[in-house]
Amino acid sequence: MNKPLLALALAFGIASVASVQAQTPAASPAPAINDAQIAHIAYTAGEIDITAAKQALEKSSNKDVRAFAEEMARDHAAVNVQALALVKKLGVTPQDNPTSQSLSKHAAAEIKKLAALKGNAFDKAYVDNEVAYHQAVNGALSDTLIPSAQNAELKSLLETGLKLFQSHQMHAEHLAQNLK
Amino acid sequence: MLRTMILLAGLLALTGGIAPASAASTAKQPAAAQAHRVHRIVIDKMQYGPMPTDVRAGDIIEWTNKDILEHSATARDGHFDVDLKPGASGRVTATTGMLAFFCKFHPTMTATLVVK
Repeated sequence: MNKPLLALALAFGIASVASVQAQTPAASPAPAINDAQIAHIAYTAGEIDITAAKQALEKSSNKDVRAFAEEMARDHAAVNVQALALVKKLGVTPQDNPTSQSLSKHAAAEIKKLAALKGNAFDKAYVDNEVAYHQAVNGALSDTLIPSAQNAELKSLLETGLKLFQSHQMHAEHLAQNLK
Repeated sequence: MLRTMILLAGLLALTGGIAPASAASTAKQPAAAQAHRVHRIVIDKMQYGPMPTDVRAGDIIEWTNKDILEHSATARDGHFDVDLKPGASGRVTATTGMLAFFCKFHPTMTATLVVK
């Protein structure tokens, strides 16, 4: 998925949630998305990157690309374990929403596109997508998800996640440079 | 006899009292310098915390991982490789020079420590 497309998916999804929220009368100004939806989006974003990493580990023989994919699979799984533990502790059930659905839909299309590629072409497309994906998710985290989160522990986990994903983005950008 | 013993005890006390004091006054500086200290580096949110200063060869470097992910302190020169699961700590003994290390799981995490 290219960056503009994903950014659009995220923006569209969040806007859709906002419009649904706007239709429901609220006593106080409610955030565009609630914590249950934020948790679902964050978890979904992590799962998408784990799936992409698994595909890369199946298809790539490039040592650096494989090391990066292993990092993605390991880190996103660890964050999602924390996220699940937190929602359980808070008694929150992650709530599906248009942003999560958009992310999943576009991720499935990206997996299909990458499945048709081999060798260097695959490596390059995978890493370029990882750069774009982390840019978009980090943008959504800092601009929308973190400011909207109401629960302090959820906010803190998202902030930790943002630091982590920024580091992933840097690693992906560095890798993309080396693959050129 | 009693007088001799008292005299002896007095002499011992006197010399004993003076000797350690004079020894301490000359040995205090080297003793303090030779004591090996423990320097702690805290890892959190994908970063190594501030590097300790005034680290000397023989001192202990201790990393504590407060992050939610597994990290490592891996020497660039292969001298050490400390795995740090979330919540875990690990130590190495410092050797003189520039001690460059990174996280083998997250290569963007790097740091350099100066050991005198």
